[in-house]
Amino acid sequence: FTFDHHITAAMMHRMLRVDHAGEYGANRIYAGQMAVLGRSRTGPLIQQMWDQEKKHLSKFNEILAENRVRPTALLPLWNLSGFVLGASTALLGKEGAMACTVAVEESISEHYNSQIRALMESDPERYTELLQVIKEFRDDEMDHHDTGLEHDAESLPGYWLLKNAIQLGCKAAIYVSQRV
Amino acid sequence: MAALLRGLRAGRLLRGLSSVVAAPTSTTLQCSSLRRGFHCAALRLKDESKSEKHSASSSYSSSAAVPPTDLTYCAFVVNYYSGFAQSDQEQDEEYETEEQLQARILTAALEFVPLHGWSMEAISAGAEAVGLSSASTGMFTNGAGDLVLHFISQCNSNLTEILAEQHNQVQLGQVEPKKTADFLRDAVETRLRMYIPYMESWPQAMSILLLPHNIPDSLKHLSTMVDDIWYYAGDRSTDMNWYTKRAVLTGLYNSTELVMLQDSSPDFQDTWTFLDNRIQDVTNMAVTAKQMQLTGEAVAQGLMGAAVTVSFQGLFFLFNHRIKLL
Repeated sequence: FTFDHHITAAMMHRMLRVDHAGEYGANRIYAGQMAVLGRSRTGPLIQQMWDQEKKHLSKFNEILAENRVRPTALLPLWNLSGFVLGASTALLGKEGAMACTVAVEESISEHYNSQIRALMESDPERYTELLQVIKEFRDDEMDHHDTGLEHDAESLPGYWLLKNAIQLGCKAAIYVSQRV
Repeated sequence: MAALLRGLRAGRLLRGLSSVVAAPTSTTLQCSSLRRGFHCAALRLKDESKSEKHSASSSYSSSAAVPPTDLTYCAFVVNYYSGFAQSDQEQDEEYETEEQLQARILTAALEFVPLHGWSMEAISAGAEAVGLSSASTGMFTNGAGDLVLHFISQCNSNLTEILAEQHNQVQLGQVEPKKTADFLRDAVETRLRMYIPYMESWPQAMSILLLPHNIPDSLKHLSTMVDDIWYYAGDRSTDMNWYTKRAVLTGLYNSTELVMLQDSSPDFQDTWTFLDNRIQDVTNMAVTAKQMQLTGEAVAQGLMGAAVTVSFQGLFFLFNHRIKLL
């Protein structure tokens, strides 16, 4: 027998809430990286990626306001921990910042992909606009991921450990932001 | 086994019918009450057929088919309504759901609240007013809680309608948009005025809402109301302001409601004055907070400037006096 793919309003609100929290966190991570590496050679590159995240965040602010979705109550927590994550990985140097970028962008892309799947399984016509937005953002995040790899993320000592630790944290953040 | 189940269901139908017939009704209402009785019996049949569809084995091909060898008037009712039992998802337009029926009874019961308070007596009186037997209060497992929650929900819908109408008028340019403080004051006043007809029994209603099993629902109604008011006041925030604004309005509303309970001034003037003063307090707090933030930023900039000046002075001093030090 088939599963019910219907997306209720509550489920939609959870999806939008966690997306908003994710873009907000990504913003703060890049802000932390810029605080440390802003005046180095990688500064302009990080600034460019940060500007794209700012656009993503403002789009989600619009979507949340339109749909009257409650933002997650943990925003102050993501504010602080995002900045701290960005700054501390940037203190490990350019490779550290790039490794953090790779880890986070991979998590976000996976997350967006599963949302795209859920929306497509449910009703692609009804959610065309939202699908378009999420696909575009997913592509941007994949670009950031690839940029991070190009700029020697993998040459960081302890890359595997750091990447997995950050991805575990991202999974926990996604889980919690959907609910709180 | 199948015959036993059919017999049980026939028995339930009979009880449904007899409860209508046995209830004291005036002759003018007898026909409509019998029809309503069939409705109720059919409702129960529909519910049972729904639940039996899920739980019964394949021995039941059509849950509505009671063979004519059973009691004939049951068969008449069942065959008459068999169409409804087969369509789970579709809703016949003239056919009323249980929720709609409950809503109708509770709305009618509100008229009897001044007489009976927020209680099962009021609900029974309401049921009789719409032509049902007072035994149909068995539908309301939460009793007086159902009545109060229904009333709250109705008040919230009314408020939303009023706010949406005002919003439309502003969009069309017919009316000037109000300032936020005025908007909030008017919204809270409009909403609280809906309690005035029931003011004497409102403390009872509030205590019912505070019962543990009613708290989740009453909080949900409160939070949707506060969210609606802020939405129509123009709030589109997506950060912690979302939470602080709603918390502030909840506090305003609850405190004003409590003042209203003990207010004996004409047209509750004291309550509205209290509301005005609290809103003024909140506005002042917001202004003060903003001023503090600006002051803090200015002070920080000043300190940074001072630090830079002092460090330059220090370097200058050292540079000039290095000859002596060396």
